[in-house]
Amino acid sequence: MDGIGQGPKVAFTLPIFGGIEITETIVIGWLIIAAVLLVCLFLTRGLAKVPTKKRQIVAEMFVGFVNNMVETTMGKRWRHYAPYIATLLVYAVLGALVSLLGLRSMTADFNVPLTWALMTFILITFYKIKSGGPGGYLKGFASPIPLMLPLNLLSEVATPVSMAFRMFGNVSGGAVITSLIYSALAGLSKLAHLAFDVGGVGFNVFQLFIPAVLSVYFDLFSGCIQAYIFATLTMVYVSGAAEEE
Amino acid sequence: MVYAKVTEFLTIDPATIVLTLCNTLILFLVLKHFLFDKVNKVIDDRQNEIAESYKNADEAQKKAENLAAEYDEKIGRAKEEGAEIVRAATVKAQSRSDEIIAEARAEAKGIVDNANDEIEREKKIMVNQIKDEIAELAVSAASAVAEKEISLEDNERLIENFIDRVGEQ
Repeated sequence: MDGIGQGPKVAFTLPIFGGIEITETIVIGWLIIAAVLLVCLFLTRGLAKVPTKKRQIVAEMFVGFVNNMVETTMGKRWRHYAPYIATLLVYAVLGALVSLLGLRSMTADFNVPLTWALMTFILITFYKIKSGGPGGYLKGFASPIPLMLPLNLLSEVATPVSMAFRMFGNVSGGAVITSLIYSALAGLSKLAHLAFDVGGVGFNVFQLFIPAVLSVYFDLFSGCIQAYIFATLTMVYVSGAAEEE
Repeated sequence: MVYAKVTEFLTIDPATIVLTLCNTLILFLVLKHFLFDKVNKVIDDRQNEIAESYKNADEAQKKAENLAAEYDEKIGRAKEEGAEIVRAATVKAQSRSDEIIAEARAEAKGIVDNANDEIEREKKIMVNQIKDEIAELAVSAASAVAEKEISLEDNERLIENFIDRVGEQ
């Protein structure tokens, strides 16, 4: 954990369009996709009407959990949204938890939550226009009185921005705190003469257990809860937009 | 890994956004195609099968109940029919026996009447014969007693008197 307060590193540069810089965020995304694909293939191998394998039960539990979440939050007719909500959940949870493997959290890159927030914003706008028509959509900004127009515009823009910053702030804040704790503990170990140099690798006694406990909150809990919040907000906003009027 | 460059903590990078969008869509397709579609299909199939088997069971039970009711009705009807047949047979037998008895009575009565008539006729014949014989006897007796010619009128009168006397005895 060097460089507190640094952005994602550039992994490599694609030599097209004058060089596209591929950051570690994207590489981690690919790793997550590959891992999820393998897990999915494994879990859905030999599906049967009467489950005989534990992995089918795991798969059904996960699918049932997301289906149930979508159906209770959005309603039965939105069940086709379950894979999208599952994508947000899985991607956000795994994207935050890669920090446990020593990688940089994917969602600690502002571009990732921003992308998802923009997708949600596009869906919200799409359903608002679909349910109220383009005229109704535009008129909605001037309701209940035209004086509200600036506030309505602001709240419309605030939705994706707040969603993006909420997730980014929590996860990257957790990462910053974790690295601050690491360096603080290193300093503490040096003060207590409990820092050793084993074959050129620094070894600080206080760094052994304390970060793990704190990491449960700052990485595990925060990452999962933010994923859940993001998914829930997406469901609420999208179904709310479709049901207006 | 040697990194060429470290980006700022908070940057907006269009390339990352576009690639993240692609990654998200790819992950969406992976989850949809390899997990949700398959598992939902299995769950739906199972639910349909369960619903189907419940429906079949309900139908079978209904059918069994209907059959039981039908059989009950049939048995009831058969019993009624049986009772009806027995009753009809009894009535018929009764009337037939009455008829036979009446016939027998009539026949017996006829026979008795015929016999009575016959007896009456025989009696008459016998009476006439006896009358004739008595008359003859009387005439011969009278001739023997009187030894004289009796007029035809006297004769007749005498005979009649005699017969009546005899008849009175």
